[in-house]
Amino acid sequence: MLSRLQAISVKVTDPFVSLSLVQASRSLQTSSQRLAPVPPLPDHGGKVRHGLIPEELFEFLYPKTGVTGPYMLGTGLIVYLLSKELYVINHETIYAICIGTIIVYGVKKYGATVAAFIDSINEEKVAKAQAAKDSHISFLTEAIENEKKEQWRVEGRGMLFDAKRNNVAMLLETNYRERQHMVTNEVKRRLDYQIALQHLNRRLQQEHMINWVEKNVISSITPQQEKESIAKCIADLKVLAKTTQAKAAA
Amino acid sequence: MTLSLFDQFLSPVVCWIPLMAIAITLPWILFPSPTTRWLNNRSLTSQNWFLSQATSQIFLPINPPGHKWALLLSSLLIFLATMNTAGLLPYTFTPTSQLSINMGLAGALWMGVVILGMRTQPTHSLGHLLPEGAPALLTPILVIIETISLFIRPIALGVRLTANLTAGHLLIQLTSTATLAMLTIMPVTAIFTGILLFLLALLEAAVALIQAYVFVLLLSLYLQENV
Repeated sequence: MLSRLQAISVKVTDPFVSLSLVQASRSLQTSSQRLAPVPPLPDHGGKVRHGLIPEELFEFLYPKTGVTGPYMLGTGLIVYLLSKELYVINHETIYAICIGTIIVYGVKKYGATVAAFIDSINEEKVAKAQAAKDSHISFLTEAIENEKKEQWRVEGRGMLFDAKRNNVAMLLETNYRERQHMVTNEVKRRLDYQIALQHLNRRLQQEHMINWVEKNVISSITPQQEKESIAKCIADLKVLAKTTQAKAAA
Repeated sequence: MTLSLFDQFLSPVVCWIPLMAIAITLPWILFPSPTTRWLNNRSLTSQNWFLSQATSQIFLPINPPGHKWALLLSSLLIFLATMNTAGLLPYTFTPTSQLSINMGLAGALWMGVVILGMRTQPTHSLGHLLPEGAPALLTPILVIIETISLFIRPIALGVRLTANLTAGHLLIQLTSTATLAMLTIMPVTAIFTGILLFLLALLEAAVALIQAYVFVLLLSLYLQENV
């Protein structure tokens, strides 16, 4: 409203008049100059008695005239208007009574239902917004829980790595030992071969020597020696036969 | 002061100051503009609910180009309904019981719809002068009859509303005069007339809303033909 006043005052050529206009209206503004946040509306309207007369009138008259004061005032007013013929009873009065009855009856009978229906329209709006908010909150809570689970899973990752590490170490160890075995076996094979070779050499040498010695001995045996040895053998045999015979006879 | 039967139909004047402007702008005061709040009080919520329901109902059969008329027709509905129902209260003046106002509304709006139709799709608009499925022999007569019916529409619209409201108000006046007159002489008959007055008042309440709806509905139908 102030901006509108200023816009109007721009058209006024005299700057003093426009300034004084703005300043003059400032004193009429009683509420605090604040646009946001909008102050909350009261939940219920002002209290009324008999649907028409505000409760403030009854409270105003109570100290001086008590409870029946306003009713006496109303009755007195109506009687005054009627008696002085300030209000004339005519056909409209009858109609007024008629339509008044209809309106009061309608409000009394259907008032609560209509009010509940209108409140339900507003409540549906609030419920929709609340449902959206709730679903979002539940979605976020689920996301938090999932995140926590993932963090817990990450803790177990260390154990997994340890196990894998052990696995790999075992494989390496096994591989190393296998290779060591292989190396030992190969070396033993080569050494065995060398030993066998040496044995073979020895045997061959021995056999060769034996053969040579035999050959030499056999070639060195003269026929004379041969006859003598044979005669000796026969003599020995005869002796032996005699002894055995003797033993047998004894 | 004693009222004659036709005092209620006179333009309201107080000390020669005409109050017609106040009488016509009453609906504007009773229906506040939309607020910046998300949840409104009961009266505003009910007004908005009613208006949205009524507008969607009226504009359901109209194709999209006709939806430009939504603001005009919905505000017209509220205007007429408020004025009619406010006229039910005693000692009030009902502007819609005056032929001048109703003919002004009906004539202007009807002419707007017809001119719109003739300008945007003249063939289609003129085609309405011959209803479908009519035998070929009757064509000339039918065209004349349909033209007459087309030009009677604004008169019918205006006079329908005026006649309904004026007749209703007059009946109420007569019945209540009869009740008052017989109250002292023949009370029992007065009671019967009083019951008649009750029923009449109920009927008038219904008529007030129905006539406003019919006015807007017929205009929407003419719009449907022409848009």
